[in-house]
Order: sequence, then C-alpha cells, then structure tokens
Amino acid sequence: MTNDDNSVVQLTAVRKEYSDSVALDGVSLGIAAGEAVAVMGPSGSGKSTLLNLVAGLDRPTSGSIVVNGEDLGDLTEKGLALFRRRRVGMIFQFFNLLDDLSALDNVALAAQLTGTSAAKARTRALELLDELGIAGRRNLHPAQLSGGERQRVAVARALMNRPALLLADEPTGALDSRSGEQVMDLLLDLNQIGQTLLLVTHDERLAKQCATRVIHVVDGRIASTSDLEHTP
Amino acid sequence: MSAVWRVARSAMGRRRVQTAVIALVVAVSTGTSVLALGLLVSASGPFQRAHAEQNGAHLVIAYDTTRVSDEQLAATATRPGVEAAAGPFGEVTLDTARSTAARVGSLTTVGRADPAGPVDRLDLWSGRWAAAPGEIVLNVRQGSDDPVPLGSRIEIPGEPVLTVVGFAYSVSASADAWVTPVQLAALHPTTAQVLYRFTTAGTGAEVDAGRAAVTAGVPAAAVLGEQSYLTVEERFDADIGVYVPFLVPFGFLGLAVAVLIVANVVSGAVVSGVRTIGVLKSLGFTPNQVMAVYLLMVLAPAAVGCVVGTIGGNLVARPVLADAFGVGASGIDAWVDVAALVGLPLVVALAAFVSALRARRLPATAAITAGSGPRSGRAVVIQRRLASARLPRSVSLGLGMPFARPARSMLTLAAIVLGVMTVTLSIGVTLSVNAYNDAVRPVHPDRVEFLGGLRGDLSLPADAPGPHPAPTLTDAGDEAALRSLPGSVHVLASAERTVHLLGSQEKPSVVFSRGDSAALGPGIAEGRQAGPGEAVAPSRFLNRRGLALGDTITLELGGNRTQVTFVGVTLTNNADTIFTGWSTLDVLAPGSRAESYTVQLAPGTTREAFVSAVHARDPGLEALPVRDGTSSQAVVLVGSASLLTLVLALVSALGVFNTVVLHTHERRRDLGMLKAIGMTPRQVTAMMITSVGALGVVGGLLGVPLGYLAHRLVGPAMMRAAQSDVFGFVIDVYHAPTLVLLGLAGIVIAVLGALLPAGRAARLPIAAVLHNE
Repeated sequence: MTNDDNSVVQLTAVRKEYSDSVALDGVSLGIAAGEAVAVMGPSGSGKSTLLNLVAGLDRPTSGSIVVNGEDLGDLTEKGLALFRRRRVGMIFQFFNLLDDLSALDNVALAAQLTGTSAAKARTRALELLDELGIAGRRNLHPAQLSGGERQRVAVARALMNRPALLLADEPTGALDSRSGEQVMDLLLDLNQIGQTLLLVTHDERLAKQCATRVIHVVDGRIASTSDLEHTP
Repeated sequence: MSAVWRVARSAMGRRRVQTAVIALVVAVSTGTSVLALGLLVSASGPFQRAHAEQNGAHLVIAYDTTRVSDEQLAATATRPGVEAAAGPFGEVTLDTARSTAARVGSLTTVGRADPAGPVDRLDLWSGRWAAAPGEIVLNVRQGSDDPVPLGSRIEIPGEPVLTVVGFAYSVSASADAWVTPVQLAALHPTTAQVLYRFTTAGTGAEVDAGRAAVTAGVPAAAVLGEQSYLTVEERFDADIGVYVPFLVPFGFLGLAVAVLIVANVVSGAVVSGVRTIGVLKSLGFTPNQVMAVYLLMVLAPAAVGCVVGTIGGNLVARPVLADAFGVGASGIDAWVDVAALVGLPLVVALAAFVSALRARRLPATAAITAGSGPRSGRAVVIQRRLASARLPRSVSLGLGMPFARPARSMLTLAAIVLGVMTVTLSIGVTLSVNAYNDAVRPVHPDRVEFLGGLRGDLSLPADAPGPHPAPTLTDAGDEAALRSLPGSVHVLASAERTVHLLGSQEKPSVVFSRGDSAALGPGIAEGRQAGPGEAVAPSRFLNRRGLALGDTITLELGGNRTQVTFVGVTLTNNADTIFTGWSTLDVLAPGSRAESYTVQLAPGTTREAFVSAVHARDPGLEALPVRDGTSSQAVVLVGSASLLTLVLALVSALGVFNTVVLHTHERRRDLGMLKAIGMTPRQVTAMMITSVGALGVVGGLLGVPLGYLAHRLVGPAMMRAAQSDVFGFVIDVYHAPTLVLLGLAGIVIAVLGALLPAGRAARLPIAAVLHNE
C-alpha cells in the first residue's frame, strides 16, 4: 500500500455503473509517486474502466478520484481536458496515432495543444524520439512504421508534457513478442527513472517485469493485491 | 423479411443521425426542387398559363343592347370559328368617385350569376361570390394591394348600396367588378358583353378574323368596344414580366443546390459505410446484396424525405407563386410534384449506386481497413505544412481536414458557393428594388399635399375623408396664400387631365404644373425639367410607344391642340402619365384651376401647425395624408427574394452540416484520442468548424463575384421586362462594405451548418469511442 502524503493517485469507494451493469463497485486504491502498478483481471472485470476513470476520460457514479492533488469530481469538461493534458500521459493498445501526421508531428501534437509553438514542440518531440531510439523514423507516417515503432511514438507522445502519471492500456496487446519486449523494457526504464505508472494488462509477464504491485480486479472489485520484488 | 432488409434496417437504427440527415436533406432538397420547378414553369409564359387555366376569352365585345336583340347576341356565339362563348352579361359603369363611403374609381360592372362558365372562369381567391342584390365582387389580382377591405360599402347617391363580399381575378380583364344579374338589371344597363374563345387565335389577324365572324350579323353601331386578349397580355407581361428574370435564376440555383446536396449526402453516407461493407462481405453477403443493403439504407429515409418535401414545397410555393403571378394559387402543376417524387429518389439512387459500386469492387479486407491508412499524398503534405504553421493546433488540424476527402469537400464548397451566390443576388435584387422604389415613390415627410378641387374624371383616393374639397379662394389666391404662410419653402400647383394623343387611340394622363417644379416635380433620370412647350415622361411611357427624348407629340383636349417635345426622363413608375408645364394646360383647357398643391415645409415646421394655418386661410383645401412609399410589387419581390434566399442558404448549410457529421463519424477514433491527450471541447469545436470554415471563406470569395455577375444580368433584365430604361443607380447597388459583408456569408453558412455536429463532436464520450474502436 502507499503512503497518502506521497500518493499520486487516490481512489476512494469508487463505483461506476452503466445502464445494465456495474463495472466498478467500491474500489479504493492508492498509488505512490514512482510506483508502477499493474491492473489485471479477466475481460469485463472493470480494469479498463478503472484506467479510464483515473485518466479523467469518464466520471464515476460515486466515490472520489484524486490524481496529483486534483479531485477529478470537481473538474468541468474543460478542466478534465486540461488535467489530461498536463497530468497524465496515455498509451493505448492500438496506438491511436493520427494517420495524416508524421511520427514527429504526432508526438509534437500533445505539446502544441497546450499552446507551445510548433518549433519548440518539435524540438522536444525529436529529443523524445531520440531517447526512444526512433528519431530516424520521425518523418514516416504511422502506416509506414512497425507496431513496436508506433507504440514508441505513442509513448513519446504520452511523455511529451512530462506527466505525473503514465497510463497504459494493454500496451503490448497489439504487438508481436519482440516489439512487446521492447515496449516492456521501455516502460521499465521509465519507471526506474521515477515515472509513476499504471498499466492495465492481460499479460502476466509484462506485469511481473514492469510493475512493483499487481492488483487483480474481478467483477468490479479488487480481489487481491500483490507486491512484487522487482529486479532490474 | 430478407437478410438484406434486416441488415439495412438495423444499419438505419444504428446510424440514426445519418438516416435523419438523409431524410432531412432530401426533404428540404425536394421542397426546394418543387419550389424551383414551380417558379420555372410559372415564369415561362405566365399569361398563357393563367389564360389557359381560366379558359380566358380571346375577345370581349361590348354591345349596345338598344341596337341589338338578345337573339342576335346569342347567334354570335354560334358563328364559325367560335369554340366557346359566355354571355351576354349586362354591363354598367359605376363611378365610385361619387361614393360617400368606399371609393375605388370607375368600375365596369358586369352581372354574372357565378364565377364559372365556359369562358373566363374567374379565380375567386378571397371572400365569396355575390349571392344577392347589394353585393359586389371586385376584380383584384392576388398579391396586389386590396383596394378596400372586404365588407366595405360603396354608397353612390341614387344607386343601390353595394357591399364588397369578395375579390376575384379575371385574366381576360373582362370587368372591374361583378354583381348578381338581378342587381345589374336594377342598375338599368344598356350594354352587354359577350366573351368569345376562338378555335384559332394565335395572332392579331386571327383574332380580327374571329371578330369579323361574330359581328357579321350585328349592326356595326351596336359594337361599342372590344378587347383582344393580346392587348391584355401585353399589359400583363409588363406588370408580371419583371418577376421572370428574377425568379428564373432562383429556380435554377434551387435545383442545382438540391441535386448537389443530395449527391454529397448520399455518396458520403455510402463512403462512410465502406468498412461495414467489408464486414458484410466477409460474412458471406454477395456484392449485390451488399449494394442492396446500402441502397435500401439510403433510399428508405430518402423516400420519406421526398414525400415530406413535396408536400412542404407545395405549401411554400403556393403563396410565392400567387404573390408573384396572382395565378396558380390552386397549386403548382401536378407534373412538378411527380417529377420531384420520381426525380429526387433517382438522384439519390444514382449517387448511392455510383458510390456503392465502387465499394462493391473493393476486396473485403481492403474495405474493412479503409480509412486506416494514410490519406492522399496531398493531404499528408498539407498536414505537414500546417503542423509547422503559426496557428493554434486545433485550427491547423481543422484546416487540413478538407484535403483528406477532396471530392466531398468540392461538393460542399459548390453548395456554399451557390448559397453565397444566392444571398448576393438576392441582396442585390433587394437593394435594386429599394433603390428603384425610393426613386419613383419617394416619401417626403417634409411635404404637405392639399386637394384644391375635384376634376370630373378624377376620383379621390379610397381613404381620403369626405366631403370633397371646395376651396373658397381662387386658384391664384390659394397658391399665393400657401406661399405666404410661415414655414412654406416651395409650392407646386398641379392639375391632371386625360388627353388624347393625336395619331393614336391613346389617352394618357398629363400632369400640368406651375411653380417650383425643379424642387417638387418628379425626379429626372435623364435630360432636364420641362420648360414651355416641353414635357418629361417615364422611360416606360417612351419605350412602350417607341418615343425618345427630342420627339414631339400632339396633345388634344376639348378640341384644343398643342405640341410638346420630350426633354427629360422622369423617375416615376406610371407608364401612362407624362408631365408638362402649366402653359400647355392654358392652351388645352384655358382657365383651369389647380387641383392640388404641394408645399415643402421649412425645417422645424410641423405639418399639423401648417395645415391649421392653411385652413384658417382656406378651409376648403384638404390636406392629404403622407404618401405611402411602399409598392406591392416591391414587397413581393423583396419577400420572395428573402424566402428563397433563406431556403437556399438553409439547404447549403445542411450540406455543411452533413459534411461535419460525416467527418465526425469517420474520425471518431481520432477525436477520442485528441480528447484523451487533452484537446478541450472548445478546441474540438474550433477544429470541426475550421474544417468547413475554410471552405466557407473560399465559397464567399467565389460566390460573391458570381452573385454580382448574376445581378448584372438579372437587374437590367428585370428593368427591361418592366419596359423601363436601365438606370445605373438601380444596378450599381453593391458597395465595398456590402461586398465584404456578403463575403462573410460563406463563413456564416459554414459555421451555422457546422455548429451542431461540431458541438456533438466535442461531447463525444472518449472512453466509449476508444473502447469501440
């Protein structure tokens, strides 16, 4: 468990209902700064809903969610958008890159939305692509990149605004095993330099390699939590 | 229920917005097409159409019943060449100028039992037919001003009181009013009219031949007068013809916009469903079944929209056509409805078929992955350039969107261009009509007009209070008094007479003036004010008679003759009134007194105080109310222009609406992602509006010059149709600020069309969108 003073994420009695089902039922959870938490569970267990709520993509039916000191329940739609822009970075299973934009422009986009000039945003994007080892592919479009490369571009985009929390939804789910390994290494590296990480995955290997804590969600409830001994 | 129908129905259920958009767009487009076709049909030979509709008379002959027997008149109807005849109907002239109540001038009044009959079937468009003695129906064209309200009473001393119970319209101009035969008999007629239709009456010679045939057995002296439908047609065309060049372009614009929008919406619907086409194919649907699904999906809402649109189009078209042409109030031609009901679904089917055919050829895998690859090369290059532009990123992303779907963007642009062109043309027509109206019917609040006497053949305006003016001073005394009163700046004394124009059968009205003609006379568009022996006239008077400035005419009144030379073209509307100096009247009718005096007041002088002062000097001078400067024709033109512009701009905006709906549908994943990485709802809205706003800017830049050019063609054509000269001040109505504002019309259309779907895009639920994708 985590110490409240040091927590980046704090969920208290969070419940999320859809018209015909309960996706999360009274979930309370804390994530400390620098922690890497993996959420696992069967399909439909509520793990993606949990991620969406923490990312401010959706609102809970009841309960409170505080991320980096901001109570998401207090935020308007615009407030949530600004929160997503500044506090969190998101990595999706299917990358969700804009097909019309080059790798560099996809990464720069996240900063440009905040009003950063195109030149500054591109400089920062190039640095990130360089750090992730794909600077040479910066002018290619998503369709011209491999799955692993696309996900690296997506990771770079997620890191563009230096988020307090990196959220990943099945980040290796659409990748072959080699690309998946590379992304796992990347996430591990990021966590080791202090990036707080919350990832949702079916992949036990990914969870074990990257996470310091694994939470099992079943039927919308936290069924178990296990701390892992992590060996870099 | 077949699998095809089941899938199509479920697809419509899933894409409720798109289905509703198709139905709505097809409904509005069909309505516009009905209106446009109705205008085009009505504008082509409006008189012939109305004449055929009413079984109008080719010839109306008035007989002296003291010189011809009923049997002889009845026999005229059976002469060779007569296809049908109506009458004889008794006819009298009622001079309502003597009425102590409502006055509507001199009325040729006919006794008819009903408005129907084999010839001249009247259009009773308001009130009811005269059913009993004491009731009268006036001949008024629908759309023109009612001369008096229904229920008004005409009380001529010594005659029965007549109450106006209805307004009917005779395209044959067979009478000014109708009463029951019993009522007419009580008015002791000595004239009877017979209305004839001939088997051939296409030319004046044929009408003359028909006349000769019907009057063969009638004493020549018994024929008091006659009226050929060709003469009536000439007058009709001069009045109505002004609408034709104005309405025809709107008709074509309406059709073009309707077809464009439908093609855009339908092809867009199919293209956006290409992925589903791939899925259906992979499930085992044959290419033809897939096409059938898409055709059904589009045609079902289109059919509903088409029916609704046809009904709506009829409802809108009816008052527009009735106002413009005064006929066709019963509705537009049935074939127009049939054409709309068949034509629009055909356009829909064709657009859907062409798009679906392309999708049909796509391999299933390619269809499923359609849209997930990079867009066209040009779109990518433009996006790259825009990414470095010094613009908010939401704006630059929006600017690049049209290039991802160039064909759709071109169709949307075309719709905006036509919309802006319509707005520009319509504003131009409105400005021209107002400029013309202001010039020919100026309103002068600083002028007072006094009636100083009543000419025998001049009736007072209907709303002028009785009794008739009876000045106590002489003509010269009144003029001197008016000039001497404090507050009087200019005075113009006038008299009007019907004068014979020698060398013709024409009897135009001539206004004779003395005093300050330069200040208070009619405005001069060309030439100069008339001096002694000179006259000025409106261009319509000159053009109708083949006259020009410098030409001389001879006027005759009561056996006196004088010549006047035309030296100026007036800015007046009445085609049968000319203006000359008082010296001409001194020759034609020596000793006449002025019937009216126009006084221009000094600033600060109130009308009421001046009228009181005048009455203190001569209580017999009667002040007339300030003239109403509005013209029913101008009101109809401006009203029609506004309505048509509204409809066409709405259709253009619908095209934009559809484009943004499709963009949103196709880019749901991108929108979800953009929102997930922090794009605010306002930025999403800005991006979607920008995506069509750019088209709006281009549409404005193209549409304004096109509308301007259209106005340069339509404006002069309207004036020529009205037999007027083409005045520069009526055509040169666009000024720089107006053009700039009109240029914004494209943006307005684009923003109005995009606002709703852009707002919807901004509210897309991110989690659901990303989950479903």
